[in-house]
Amino acid sequence: MENRKAGKRMRLLKTYAPLYLLTIPGLLYLLINNYLPMLGLVIAFKDVNFSKGILGSDWIGFKNFEYLFKTSDAYVITRNTILYNSAFIVLNLIVAVGVAILLNEIRSKLMARFYQSVVLLPYLISMVIVSYLGYAVLSMDTGFLNKTVLPLFGMDEIAWYNEPKYWPYILTFIHTWKGAGFLCVVYLAAIIGIDQEYYEAATLDGASKRQQIRSITLPLIAPVITMMTLLAIGRIFYSDFGLFYQVPMDSGSLFNATNVIDTYVYRGLMQLGDIGMSSAAGMYQSLVGFVLVLLSNYVVRKFNRENALF
Amino acid sequence: MNASKKWLALLLIVCLSVLAACSSNNSSSGGSSASSPSAGSQPSSGESGEAYELNVAFPIFGAVPSNMPEVEKAISDIAKEKIGATVKLTPISIGAWSQQSNLMLTSNEKVDLIYVSGTSFTGMVSKGQLLALDDLLGEHGPDIVATFDPEFLKATAINGKTYAVPSNKEMAVDYGLSILKRYIDKYKIDPTSIKTLDDLDGLFKTIKDGESDLPAILVPQSAGISFLASHRWFDPLGDSIGVLPDFGGGLTVANLYESSEYAAFVKKMREWYQAGYIMKDSATNKDNGNALILAGKGIARLSNLKPGYERQTSLEYQEPATVISLTQAYATTSSVASVNWGIPYSAKNPEKSMRFLNLMYGDTEIINLFDWGIEGKDYVKKSENIIAYPEGVDATTVAYNLNLGWMFGNQLKSYIFEGEDPDLWKKMAEYNANAVRSPALGFSFDASPVKTEYAAVTNVINQYALPLETGSVDPDKILPEFIAKLKSSGIEKIIAEKQKQLDEWKRQNG
Repeated sequence: MENRKAGKRMRLLKTYAPLYLLTIPGLLYLLINNYLPMLGLVIAFKDVNFSKGILGSDWIGFKNFEYLFKTSDAYVITRNTILYNSAFIVLNLIVAVGVAILLNEIRSKLMARFYQSVVLLPYLISMVIVSYLGYAVLSMDTGFLNKTVLPLFGMDEIAWYNEPKYWPYILTFIHTWKGAGFLCVVYLAAIIGIDQEYYEAATLDGASKRQQIRSITLPLIAPVITMMTLLAIGRIFYSDFGLFYQVPMDSGSLFNATNVIDTYVYRGLMQLGDIGMSSAAGMYQSLVGFVLVLLSNYVVRKFNRENALF
Repeated sequence: MNASKKWLALLLIVCLSVLAACSSNNSSSGGSSASSPSAGSQPSSGESGEAYELNVAFPIFGAVPSNMPEVEKAISDIAKEKIGATVKLTPISIGAWSQQSNLMLTSNEKVDLIYVSGTSFTGMVSKGQLLALDDLLGEHGPDIVATFDPEFLKATAINGKTYAVPSNKEMAVDYGLSILKRYIDKYKIDPTSIKTLDDLDGLFKTIKDGESDLPAILVPQSAGISFLASHRWFDPLGDSIGVLPDFGGGLTVANLYESSEYAAFVKKMREWYQAGYIMKDSATNKDNGNALILAGKGIARLSNLKPGYERQTSLEYQEPATVISLTQAYATTSSVASVNWGIPYSAKNPEKSMRFLNLMYGDTEIINLFDWGIEGKDYVKKSENIIAYPEGVDATTVAYNLNLGWMFGNQLKSYIFEGEDPDLWKKMAEYNANAVRSPALGFSFDASPVKTEYAAVTNVINQYALPLETGSVDPDKILPEFIAKLKSSGIEKIIAEKQKQLDEWKRQNG
């Protein structure tokens, strides 16, 4: 009995051995690039002094973390980071799935490809260039809005880069414009993978387009939606640095609306150059992200075991 | 042994060998760093055998000149003869400098002499990245010691130990206006009649009224720099977080942003902004001031002045400029120690590093190789210390065009270019000697005891200072908010710490 079991296991291993071998480079990559650097987390608890070496430096407990929580800005940056990213996740989801469904309904192959490329294009533009596109529209001296559009309506110039109240909308718009294209392609791929027979059967039963979308398309791409959303939630504490730093042109007057954890850390430590404090910020972000992924996955599993990531 | 165990063993071996490779790397680098101080204390090892190669790292502001290898070799030859060491130059583009130099120092890469900017100096010392130079200076740096007024050399000392040597150039700064000369001529303005910032009102008004097409008059110096950086009446004590309000001799640290002078300054900027004198996009500007003037966005900058500035700025504006000084020349720790050279902690042979640094202050040949390149190829001598481009070569085609005379040691021994004032260095020496010296000249602040507050206050200043100091926002509304937020972020703790360190410094330096 024992022997038979062992023999079976061996046979299985023999069959899959080449596959295991194939995973080695990937595992090594993970080990070297993702796990070994984690040893660096000790830096977050040290007062780094290079003449003593990193391991020889003094332990200082949680002192490196203090600046993240101590000031009145701590509330603003955490609020901004979470609210913006939540809004981005929801909007990206709605826009991307919507556009993907629409794209799927275009029957002309050529036009479908054309629209797909147009939607994807902003995703490929560097944030620095996006920031200058924004500047061309919003600048005081030469901006399109201030020099061309607002005078048409007889309105006064607006100092866009000094008025925080407009920026939540500007940033959200830019992020959706730039990011939705990529997600859209992912969802489109999932939709195309749906078996056409479902739709044929539904059409025979007299289902309208809207009913087909609600009862066939959406449920069948739900696993992809959950996965993409869970991944996005895991990064909710990281923000798109380019978007929040470059696009508002680093304008101080806008900080209340544009400062997020990443930009705060960057600005605060540019002068100090303290690697202990920056690792503390990185560690804080990844821990919260980790906890959030576990939590949201747990919630998903409560509702639908199938759709959960793990 | 069955197959599964074999596979497992293979996997383990691969993993272990990778780990072993990593850890053996670690231990070897750890070993070399541990042995470095002992190598330094045994100078005899460097004298015999092959000449020691010194790696000199510094930032450059353009492409690496094509003639760099030849210059490097010429410098190396002189150094080999005089101090028995060859020299390797490691120029790094300024955009990558702070990251790359930091990486070189943290990874114990071989660097023997390194450029240290005034802004990163105290940070590098508190992180233990620089060697104390006092003994080395006394033994191997006679030309360096002879070059400087002892008070200036103290500017790079922390807790009584010198950690870097400043470049000998202008040691002080006065602040004023540099403006296109044709406007001064057109409106028959007498530049000598303008003495203070308030006197500029009339000048700006005349020009603005006369030139309705001009988008603005004043443009910023460069990206992220406010007008306050080019008009100071206080000693910023490094970072402007806690300053000496005047140069009268008192050593009481005060909050600049609460002072009535600061309030008056930002009010003046707001007036100018609303009158259309200041470029509207100043707070978000990403361009260099010269480029803005060349693009016709404005005609003047508030500038940090020094002898010879008028010619320099005329070259930059590509047309004659007028320079009007509005303040006295002030020497502070930041103006003296703005550009320095240090020896990294990991240097293998600090004695050689110091002896080469000494050549950069005493040896005219080496200084001019750094500054101008090879004689006969990159420049020709017109007289004793006046030079010009060789025939058929100009500023754009010359093979060595670093133009970083202010960086490489003793600029006052560098040749003077034709067209420049032949007495420039004499004037420079007088300017340095006659500048008003801050009572805190030589004091450097170490922010590490209050770094939590420091990061927070830096953020608050980033948020408010630039918009206020470019007149982009209303100071009546924003300035009180700024002051309140500085306080809640702990500026008073930083000021108290600074005062404590300053008192201690005063006690040590009598």
